[in-house]
Amino acid sequence: MILMSIIEDSPRKRVLLMGNEAIARGVVEAGVCVASSYPGTPASEIMEAIIPAAKHFGFYAEWAVNEMTAFNVAAGAALVGKRGFCSVKNAGFNWIMDMLMTIVFGGVRGGLVVAVADDPGARTSSNEQDSRFAAMWDEILCLDPSTQQEAKDMTRDAFDLSEAVELPVIVRSVARISHSLGDVTLGEIKAENKKAVFDKHWKIPFRWNVYGPPSTHSKHVWLHEQIPKIKELVEKSKYNTLKISEGSKYGIIASGIAYSYCLEALRWLDALDKVSLLKIGTAHPIPEKKVEQLLNHANKVAILEEGDPVVECQVRSLAQKLGKEVKILGKMYNFILPPVGELDPNIVEDTSAKFLGRPTLKTSSNREKIKEEIKPLIVPRSSAWCPGCPHIGTYYALRKALKKFGGKVPIVNGDMGCYEMAGYGIFAKKIEPSFAEESVRYTLDSPYELLDTCHIMGSGIGVSQGMYHTGYSDGKIVAVTGDSTFFHAIIPQLINAVWNNANIVLVVFDNIWTAMTGHQPCPGTGIVGSGEQSKRVSIEEICIACGVENLKVGDPYKLDELVEIFEGALKNDKLSVVISRRLCAQVLARQRLSQGIKVEPYFVDVEKCIGCRTCLTLGCPAVLFDMENRKARIDEVLCVGCSICAQACATDAIKQKGSQ
Amino acid sequence: MIEEYNIIVAGVGGQGSILLSHILGNAAITEGYQVRIAETYGAAMRGGAVSGHIRIGKSVFAPMVRLDKLDLLIGLELLEGLRLGTKYLSPDGTAIINMRPINPIDVNVGNARYPDINIIEKSLEKLCKEVIMIDGSRLALEAGNIRTLNIVMLGAVAGTGKLPISKGTLEETILRMVPPRTKDMNKKAFTLGWNTIKNRT
Repeated sequence: MILMSIIEDSPRKRVLLMGNEAIARGVVEAGVCVASSYPGTPASEIMEAIIPAAKHFGFYAEWAVNEMTAFNVAAGAALVGKRGFCSVKNAGFNWIMDMLMTIVFGGVRGGLVVAVADDPGARTSSNEQDSRFAAMWDEILCLDPSTQQEAKDMTRDAFDLSEAVELPVIVRSVARISHSLGDVTLGEIKAENKKAVFDKHWKIPFRWNVYGPPSTHSKHVWLHEQIPKIKELVEKSKYNTLKISEGSKYGIIASGIAYSYCLEALRWLDALDKVSLLKIGTAHPIPEKKVEQLLNHANKVAILEEGDPVVECQVRSLAQKLGKEVKILGKMYNFILPPVGELDPNIVEDTSAKFLGRPTLKTSSNREKIKEEIKPLIVPRSSAWCPGCPHIGTYYALRKALKKFGGKVPIVNGDMGCYEMAGYGIFAKKIEPSFAEESVRYTLDSPYELLDTCHIMGSGIGVSQGMYHTGYSDGKIVAVTGDSTFFHAIIPQLINAVWNNANIVLVVFDNIWTAMTGHQPCPGTGIVGSGEQSKRVSIEEICIACGVENLKVGDPYKLDELVEIFEGALKNDKLSVVISRRLCAQVLARQRLSQGIKVEPYFVDVEKCIGCRTCLTLGCPAVLFDMENRKARIDEVLCVGCSICAQACATDAIKQKGSQ
Repeated sequence: MIEEYNIIVAGVGGQGSILLSHILGNAAITEGYQVRIAETYGAAMRGGAVSGHIRIGKSVFAPMVRLDKLDLLIGLELLEGLRLGTKYLSPDGTAIINMRPINPIDVNVGNARYPDINIIEKSLEKLCKEVIMIDGSRLALEAGNIRTLNIVMLGAVAGTGKLPISKGTLEETILRMVPPRTKDMNKKAFTLGWNTIKNRT
């Protein structure tokens, strides 16, 4: 769907935009030529907003097969003098590091900008990394927006800055920028008519080939020659502002979203004019002259930033260089902020109050007591698969097969996708840490406790091979992955498994879409990001080309057949791949809605139900247990009629409405 | 112009809480306010908890409401209303709650017990100044579709007169933002919500 406020050419109009949409608007205002991304929460909406805008304006935007590809694609545009853009989530950022660390050896001709959405608090991510450190490591500029307005403006300006120093620029957002909305004043949309040109000796001989003469090292020398230019731009940047409070010995340096929290906290504490305040929008490098001015006025400085102490370690090293006797409080030595997790207005208010020696606004003890009394009532609402999710059937069949042929302690290694929920442990009772010396078998009956390891995209198939090569003999080793992840991260590792004889089982949960991030197409979907038809890349054919000999395709809505396939794969002592394929239940629901198709829900025949709870172990939110009569029940509003529970029922007690 | 007004919409995926937050945000922009909205939702699945913090005022910066500073809680779902109300409601605040529960999976499988509706109401009453329970789901069905629940609740909120946004702006924003073919239904939903408050006082 096209978002009007991304494409409308109405400068100075004030609109409500999500941070990610604001970044997309910045890309449009900058006249970008090529944009590429791989979906990942909390960054996905950036490219979702860009793709329809690209179609409207006639520039190029795509969902790529992975982030590495996306960044290389964007870089390609910049090498021929056009503007390239890539957006990634925190973990996705790690996939672009190889090229990012190397393209700075020679730089770019057109503007190259990567927007990364970090996730402090790790609400929708596998880690809490602070990607700003990459800018320090890479010796390039990193912008850290404090509002949605800045998210837009910084993204737009990042291209000018990138072209000014001929290096990529990082715009680092956080979840509370990306997934929050704010009023944003639109800017002009730049008409970009420059032609793509290529000159391999542009300004520097053999510029784009790191091995070109005189040496790779010489390009590092060139990179270092750019650093003073970057620092000069940073010093002039409107995103760094200093307000000195004469007479106050207190100074605050706030970067990114922490600045927004800080402004409110100082207002609530009525301390806005009682402290010198340096807002930092360039998290790397910091504006050293402005920091020096602040350090000249304040002898006690608090550094407020979300994530790791990136600004703090630069301020500390500058203070050391300047020989300043300043007390610096932050996240490194004198803790004033929690070193992990997300900030919020309360934390920053508390911190600011403590720093300024003022009383904090505390909830009264009476109110605290009331809250404590209420808290036990507030039961959790855990994340679960959707009703009718094909993963429910795949995992049920896999668990059944593992019980029989998995050995004493099978290991299931996974990665990122809706199937990762098999490790969320939502039905788990209190689990104690174990210190056993032997392998320990835990339940195979719980759908949300099956996934034993999960780290990054494609980690499951890799660690499975290492486990296999240790000679682990207590059980079978199974790797699970998804269709989009298969294309993203699995293929080279699958070849490695075939080539090096790692006899593991790989299960591909193929639901045709990149579902978890909001249903973007992947190479197996048959369409591209803009919705146009494209070649459907076949997972089976890839497996065969990789040398996989034992390959089976099953259907998670046909449990018996799928169990048999899994049993066959587990019994086999050669590498096996099982593709369990069925369209994502949410996509199916949308298709049914648009086509006016209604499917009758299932119900439980209470005469036949023996209350064994087998159907409950599926983990489907539409299957309930009626505590009063000790029987299962199906929520007919939620039920999508997939029939998995009916197939799993031992007493044939679950039937479709209208059937006999 | 009001200095600062804090609203939270608490609900479950699929109830339209995000659209409701965006309608409130856009209406506030029309009236010249600054706006910040923080949304919390999980992955793409349905049925998870979804909430929106909407902060409007002369100058607001942080997207989240501070603890005990919530002026208005709109609970599309009871338990989610209680969850966020307990954390954020101001003693001077108002809670408007749809009284129809949606069970979490934890309750469905017997791992947890859904609190009694009367206890939820009483708990909220201990936390804020006024609690209004309405059968929003029934009114939404009366308007023509359960999916108009968010607009029913907005009508009710407008009916209380607590919102620093005019009725006209709200109605205009709703019509601008809902799918065109649902305009009449949503108009009706707004009126039903509005009337249910007007008729009780």
